[in-house]
Amino acid sequence: MTMAVVEIESLAKSYRVYQKAEGLAASVAGLFHRKYRTVEAVRGIDLTVEAGEFVAFLGPNGAGKTTTLKLLSGVINPTSGTARVLGHVPWRRENAYRRRFALVMGQKNQLWWDLPAAESFRLHQQIYRIDPAEFDRTRDELTGMLAIRNLLSQPVRELSLGERMKMELTAALLHKPDVLFLDEPTIGLDVVAQYKIQDFLKHYQRERGITTLLTSHYMKDVAALCRRVVIITHGRIMFDGSLAQIVDRFGGHKVITLLFADGHIPGDLGVYGEVISEEPPRAKVRVDRGDVTATLGRILQQHPVVDVNVEDPPLEEMIAEVFSQVDESAGKDGELVVGRGG
Amino acid sequence: MPARTAVWWTILRISLEERLVYRGDFALGTLMRFLPILTQVFLWWAVFTAASTGQSIDQTRIVGYSYHDFIAYYLLTMVSRAFSSMPGLASGIARDIRDGTVKKYLIQPIDMLSFLLLNRMAHKVVYYTVATLPFAFVFYLCGDFFPNGWPEPQVMAAYVASLLMAFLLGFFLEATIGMIGFWFLEVSSLLFVYMLFNFFFSGHMFPIDMLPGFWGEVVRIIPLQYLAYFPAAVFLGKVEGPELIQGLWIQFAWVVLFMFTSRAAFHLGVRRYSGFGG
Amino acid sequence: MPSGPSYLRVFLTFARNSLVRNMTFRGNFLIETFSSMSWVFMNLGFYILVFQHTPRIGDVSNWGEYSFAWGKYEFFLFLSTTLMVNSLVQALFMENASEFGEMIRTGTLDFALLKPIDTQFLISLQRIDWSSLGNLVVGIGLAVFSLHKIGWVPSVWQVLLFMLFVICGVAIMYSLMIALAATSIWLGRNQSLYNFWFYITNFSRYPMEIYRGTYGTPLRMFFTFIIPVLVVVNVPARFLVRPLVPQTPMDLLLPVFAFVATVASLVGSRWVFNRSLLSYRSASS
Repeated sequence: MTMAVVEIESLAKSYRVYQKAEGLAASVAGLFHRKYRTVEAVRGIDLTVEAGEFVAFLGPNGAGKTTTLKLLSGVINPTSGTARVLGHVPWRRENAYRRRFALVMGQKNQLWWDLPAAESFRLHQQIYRIDPAEFDRTRDELTGMLAIRNLLSQPVRELSLGERMKMELTAALLHKPDVLFLDEPTIGLDVVAQYKIQDFLKHYQRERGITTLLTSHYMKDVAALCRRVVIITHGRIMFDGSLAQIVDRFGGHKVITLLFADGHIPGDLGVYGEVISEEPPRAKVRVDRGDVTATLGRILQQHPVVDVNVEDPPLEEMIAEVFSQVDESAGKDGELVVGRGG
Repeated sequence: MPARTAVWWTILRISLEERLVYRGDFALGTLMRFLPILTQVFLWWAVFTAASTGQSIDQTRIVGYSYHDFIAYYLLTMVSRAFSSMPGLASGIARDIRDGTVKKYLIQPIDMLSFLLLNRMAHKVVYYTVATLPFAFVFYLCGDFFPNGWPEPQVMAAYVASLLMAFLLGFFLEATIGMIGFWFLEVSSLLFVYMLFNFFFSGHMFPIDMLPGFWGEVVRIIPLQYLAYFPAAVFLGKVEGPELIQGLWIQFAWVVLFMFTSRAAFHLGVRRYSGFGG
Repeated sequence: MPSGPSYLRVFLTFARNSLVRNMTFRGNFLIETFSSMSWVFMNLGFYILVFQHTPRIGDVSNWGEYSFAWGKYEFFLFLSTTLMVNSLVQALFMENASEFGEMIRTGTLDFALLKPIDTQFLISLQRIDWSSLGNLVVGIGLAVFSLHKIGWVPSVWQVLLFMLFVICGVAIMYSLMIALAATSIWLGRNQSLYNFWFYITNFSRYPMEIYRGTYGTPLRMFFTFIIPVLVVVNVPARFLVRPLVPQTPMDLLLPVFAFVATVASLVGSRWVFNRSLLSYRSASS
């Protein structure tokens, strides 16, 4: 039987923000009376994550993914609801809990900017009270896997963004956490660095069976790492399931790529479906999932096709579709239609 | 010309809005500014009681200042400084040069010094709007320190003129220092030295009459006294008649000098800057 | 399983890391040391000017039992105490307090909250500004010089009590500073915080007997009992200039009060700090 590592029940977080008034007169008025707006970042989330799972949080900007991660790391306090990670209430910030998880944020760094990363690691060793021999072993293992061992004595400010991120990851994993929260870990990185970090995370997660929650804008991260995907929009979970399920439910189309023998693309291709691109001798047509076989049969009968490829539309496209569906339903009655995922 | 005025009005308005957003800072900041005066009131009372051996405190004079004069002087330098201090101006210019924001002024049809001057005027106007009440209140409370009341109208006019020039002098002086950023990347230590000298030799910390000998001479020559000491001395009648007129002319000359220096420094700096390819 | 980290070792690592960092920017370090020292010498110059026109500050004859007339070198001892307290506060806490505000603004406070170590400890001592310790040396030098000029050699007990109350003073100043810094969680950007800090602590820079009369007495009471900045320098300084044997009840009561005030300030600031963290919103990016 598996054990629930993360248990969240109707977790909600809202806060007030000052609304800056437009115009000079309003600014003057603002001296005396301020208008606030309540932002509901998370509006009641229920979620259970079992030990060893690698879960991705997807959602547009401001959907509440990061807020959820911050609640789970105890950095902020919730407005209502409960959460338990490894049996601890995160926002109590007990040392026993803080020793067992790590948070990595792609947009914030925790290493001392002007010092070599090795110094920051040493500080970690003392703060987390890691046994010196074990510390050396873990550090060497991690920096070896990430191929940054030779950069340890260089001031962090002299490292590239990718190298810095690898150092941040190392710092976060030195105390061998049981739970790892990753907030946009590959943001701003080039493709090679992104791939290397994905690769590392995949191996590390598998080897150690560490429970991991990830938010990312890069669908490649998600596709490479996570079997389970949770889509959050407007502070609510609207889908919870596997990537394959997303494709089943939201990927209403397939993309057929056709290679024509004569190099000539027929003019009436539009009758079969939406033509996405025409690059002779190749053309791409978007076709309803259910009609793929029938449509393909007709095309093959009518035209000299030498090669055919049928694939799902890019994941990004599908997710964007999911988001927009939610926006539409939210627009209608102000209430959200929550997906029956899982 | 009307188009230009419209642009200037817009800059002024945006700056005003920007300043007004930080309401909390404003109210607190203004009130806090008077706290050091409070300690001066008590410090100088303690000094005067100790110095007044045998005579009444009212009769005691230190470098020609009675106890009341001292406090009145400090209050008046607060007013001078409200005009002449330019927090963040030089460091802001140096920062703009360092991070390349200065290019904005080279591309857009805006003159950097005029823009900054307007921005600063807006800053000051907002400050005076918020600060007039607390200032009036404090001066009302401290009315006893001004036994002679308001000065003559002519003196008052000279006082106002010296304050306005103090604003301009403060602006152009700091702008000039900021322009040094074109030549040296690191101006913060230089700024600190300027601030230090400004604090001590503008008369902000004590009336510069207290400085004896060599230092006294130096301080009378350099322009810093026109930022704090001179307007206050005018109000208190410490400078009168031909001396007053002469002082105003010298202050004016400094303003003009630094107006040209800052502009020249900007042009030379820009030439050097674009010479390096920015 | 150990319950917490060794705070002393962590602190030493902070100190070491800060020193390494300071030394990487040696030019800057020297300039900072030099400029804060020149500030001190200018201040000293001002008081030398003042003492050209008066034999002492304060009048012993007609006020209070704890009063003291500060002659030139006694006053310099007072100044040197101010210097020592301030330089310690600056070296240990000033950079951290401003960094705290910055962490709130940028959201990097997150990382401090994650660490299995007392958050207030981590926030308050992470960075040590070694350049501010230059003034500690100046302060000690000035104290030795002034004692020599007066021709007075304090006993070991006096020096020990002096040091104890300097530490109390530092603790009071720290409490005030961290509580002020914590308010930036509620107030957002907070520039006047440092002005506020400067203006409030400005009261501590003068002997308490100058605050007298109709307005002075309430002020002295306020800054002794409500915001206890007046005991920060006054109490330790007196251990250097006055005989150790209490001359008046106040000689005994004020130090005792200073000690109580230190504990109260520390507890109070910790409460404010923890309260403020509840409102922390963690800025994104």
